[in-house]
Amino acid sequence: MRWVETEETVRFNEVDEWGMAWYGHYMAWFEVGRMALLRRFDLLPRHMVDLGYIAPVVSLTCDYKQSVGCGESIVIRTTAVKPEIAALICKFKIMLKDSKVLLARGETMQVLMTVDRKLVYRLSGEIEKRISSLLQFCQT
Amino acid sequence: MKEVVKNSEALYDFLKKMIVETLKLEDISPDDIDIDTPLFREGLGLDSLDALELVVAIEKHFNVIIEDENVGKKAFESIRALANFIKEEYPQGV
Repeated sequence: MRWVETEETVRFNEVDEWGMAWYGHYMAWFEVGRMALLRRFDLLPRHMVDLGYIAPVVSLTCDYKQSVGCGESIVIRTTAVKPEIAALICKFKIMLKDSKVLLARGETMQVLMTVDRKLVYRLSGEIEKRISSLLQFCQT
Repeated sequence: MKEVVKNSEALYDFLKKMIVETLKLEDISPDDIDIDTPLFREGLGLDSLDALELVVAIEKHFNVIIEDENVGKKAFESIRALANFIKEEYPQGV
């Protein structure tokens, strides 16, 4: 499985009163990782809209393994897999940059809707091509 | 499967069982489902993500494709509606 890596530094406004990265902020880091992966395949939100689709997240999990503080460098690793249904699952690992200690692991599932908000049951056409390329990249 | 599709009662029973098994419904047994009960919302309480699972199961069992929500809305109205949809769309000569 191939992962795309993105580096970030934990900012002051991202930590809570206890000096640890706030739990909700991990979702923003997932988003950074997702954009880095999807950008490679012209699957950013605006590309999808150009093709007539949106891809809302319908489920999310996150397991927290270790806390991280302000100023520390982290790496967000992202990959994607497709379940049997017409959906896309992104998997994430957030680690300390230097020691590669795992901080959190998570997953999101997105479905595909037309821009007029109709759920797509089967992928087809250009969007299917791009998602296939993405999955092929992630599988190798 | 051709014999099941031809026989309405057998098809109803098959679909009820398929729905309960595919969606791992714990509080509902196939015998509890009335063929005219709406599958979504106020009826069986299924949602649009359940529809995605059912689409895959229907394609696997019957080789019948439900493209999108527009088609699905009608097909998933009830067990009876789903059976009629499958009868109409079932590939000839299979």
